[in-house]
Amino acid sequence: MLVDLQGPWSPIFGRLGLLLDVHYNNPVIFFAFQLVVVGGALLAFWLTCTNRWKWLWKDWLTTVDHKKLGIMYILVGLVMMFRGFSDAIMIRTQQAMAVGPDSPGILGAAHGYLPPYHFDQVFTAHGMIMILLAVTPILVGFMNIIMPIQIGARDMAYPYLNALGLWLTVVAAALVMIALFVGDFSHAGWVGLTPLTELPYSPGVGVDYYIWSIQLGSIGTTLGAVNLIATIIKMRAPGMTWGRLPIFTWTTLASNIIALTSFPVLGVALGLLTFDRYVGTHFFTADLGGNLMMYTNLFWIWGHPEVYFVVIPAFGFLSEIIPTFSEKPLFGYITMVLASMAIALVSWTVWLHHFFTMGASPGVNSYFSIATMLVGIPTGVKVFNWAFTMYRGRLRFPTPMLWALGSLFLLITGGMTGMMLSVPAINYLVHNSVFVIAHFHNMFLLIAYASFGAVAFWWPKVFGFRLDEKLGKLFFWLFTAGTLLVFIPMYTLGFMGMTRRLDYVAHTSWQPLLLLEMLGIALYTLSVLAFVAQLAVSIRDREKNRVTGSDAWETSRSVEWMTHTPPPFYNFAVTPVIHDRDEWAWRREHGLTSLVPDRYLDIHMPKNTAVPLIIGMLTLFFGFAMVWRIWWLAAASLIAIIVVMIIRSFDKDTDYIIPAAEVEKMEQEILSRAAGATGDTADAPIGGGAGGAYASRHAPSQSRKDT
Amino acid sequence: MSHDHHNPIDHPEVQLASAGGYLFAYAFGLGAMLLGLWMVLNHTLTPVGLTTAVSVIALVSVIVQLYFLFKLDLSSTQIWHTVSIVMTAPLFVMAVGLTIWMFHTLMQRTMIPLPGMGM
Repeated sequence: MLVDLQGPWSPIFGRLGLLLDVHYNNPVIFFAFQLVVVGGALLAFWLTCTNRWKWLWKDWLTTVDHKKLGIMYILVGLVMMFRGFSDAIMIRTQQAMAVGPDSPGILGAAHGYLPPYHFDQVFTAHGMIMILLAVTPILVGFMNIIMPIQIGARDMAYPYLNALGLWLTVVAAALVMIALFVGDFSHAGWVGLTPLTELPYSPGVGVDYYIWSIQLGSIGTTLGAVNLIATIIKMRAPGMTWGRLPIFTWTTLASNIIALTSFPVLGVALGLLTFDRYVGTHFFTADLGGNLMMYTNLFWIWGHPEVYFVVIPAFGFLSEIIPTFSEKPLFGYITMVLASMAIALVSWTVWLHHFFTMGASPGVNSYFSIATMLVGIPTGVKVFNWAFTMYRGRLRFPTPMLWALGSLFLLITGGMTGMMLSVPAINYLVHNSVFVIAHFHNMFLLIAYASFGAVAFWWPKVFGFRLDEKLGKLFFWLFTAGTLLVFIPMYTLGFMGMTRRLDYVAHTSWQPLLLLEMLGIALYTLSVLAFVAQLAVSIRDREKNRVTGSDAWETSRSVEWMTHTPPPFYNFAVTPVIHDRDEWAWRREHGLTSLVPDRYLDIHMPKNTAVPLIIGMLTLFFGFAMVWRIWWLAAASLIAIIVVMIIRSFDKDTDYIIPAAEVEKMEQEILSRAAGATGDTADAPIGGGAGGAYASRHAPSQSRKDT
Repeated sequence: MSHDHHNPIDHPEVQLASAGGYLFAYAFGLGAMLLGLWMVLNHTLTPVGLTTAVSVIALVSVIVQLYFLFKLDLSSTQIWHTVSIVMTAPLFVMAVGLTIWMFHTLMQRTMIPLPGMGM
């Protein structure tokens, strides 16, 4: 049944014998290895010195608190974004170095410093990591942290499942990181082009790492989607009708409907590829009735909805940030909701534009071309709504607003180039050129901008202190300069005919633009340093930058600003009753900003559990064993996973009650601490800063009339 | 609210279950599968006719199972399940339909016509 393999295999170690046959011996890998090992050792040393292992275990590793899980999601995303960015530096450096036949080669490469086989792994890892392990976890993290508070819930519908989703995402990230040092990674592009990913063309373990990492991680994302949708449907506070749902929650819903319906398609596509590679079926080969275009088809049926899965929450961030710093309600709430849902729906009809050049009939290409262009309508609606929100608003420009505005510009340029690409005639010309690469990086940068904006926007809510504005602005401008210098040349090179994934650039006339991109990537590197410095300085000065009220920006509008900063683990002392679409703005207007309720009630909370972490570890063993075809380990870990799941299903002691008296005690403590910081008494309305007044103190004149 | 929700029998969607319904759905599913198998083994129809017939049988048994096994209806406990299937079905039809259309035109344009493929 199993296919014959090239190279060594033993029943105990599987294919690990392949490691003895080193494909490339490279100081670049060695440097990365040192970075990871030294970094990990330093972290472990710090944890031991400060006696924090117990704290780590109790407060983080076994937690089911949606806020902490969300923070860990974002942390994983940021770490993997750093890894993906390192890959980007390597791609840019290689292409800038390997121009023309006379360009020198070092470290075993004929040109530049990366041999083709290594370069191919670098761009595959870059794409796969950035989309699935950086952007996706960061967005899912925000949905986890913010959405339940925004709808007035205490936690997600399934807190245990939520933790499981996180640990499966961590497994995916861990497998990719292991692939860096143990064996190699796929070299067939992040889409996993068949038949390149079939065993005869990729006999190593790289493609297996790619398959299992995505497969296990996407199970986590699907579980997360189920959980987020159920939470929005079932856990809304009283009065939180569908018409009052904050826009970010709406976008979370739209985006997770996409995730829930599309990720299973990816699972099937990769599953069939797994069958091809492991048991010798022919789903995606040209033999025995297989069809390699079917893989591309199935992959993009997931892949294009996935693109909207990541962009719609970014639109949600913008819809929260822009009204806050315009001091106006969001313009066109209903159309914003409809536009999100319309994008989610249309996302399912556009996937074929990824292979216009395949040879389908003009009718098919026209249909998918028009469907793709249709996405522009709801997106245009959103852009106009944001513009009208800002129109005649009292605009302020702290870092979140800068990122939001940058995001809007990128949306417009990316949208325009997307329109160009949706025309089959243009697409035939620039297909697989770096013009396409520039376009989708443009769109993903929009998401990155919105996410950095969201980090700055919600940081004070989550951690209780503001981020340093000065370094934040430096980060923004360096990042923006980097964006312009990398991607304007890339668009140009696309028009000049440069194809994607080149490890050697034949045309010397492209070199100046490639060097310009190199300069851009240097600016990006500086911006990363600015970001790290911003975090370090902000954490150092956290006492100085502490937020006193519940509302860090003093003009925020939605429910998450109605609880303490940072929110206690139970989110709200008493479940809030919602009166208006922008509840916090409504309460500010009516002077109802006090965080002291009439009376306290018992709170029902889920208990911490180590089971998701254990299942995650076992899944990592399973994934590693499947990659290296160590059958006994794979079988053992799979059986162990099932056993742990069965044991967990009989555990009835999964929750507990906090008595009202204890809630009151904890609340008094938080309130008196906040009052101590402001020099106020605990009974005074704290939060908001505006003390119930209509306009904030940022308003130029409180008596100004809207004429 | 503390511990009663741990008893699965208390869940309304579990209470909807009925032995007769389960048995009927099981027997129907088995029968449909055997019918499909018999049709394929005995080459009862042309390849295109066979594909169509098997697809129709599969669709009918999916509907039967959704109703009798998963009890999808418009009651307050089940409505969200029904809504989700109603929202997923068009996506499924769209994805499969557009894929068939695309591969059909692709085949017409790139492959040597096969007998019985209606070309």
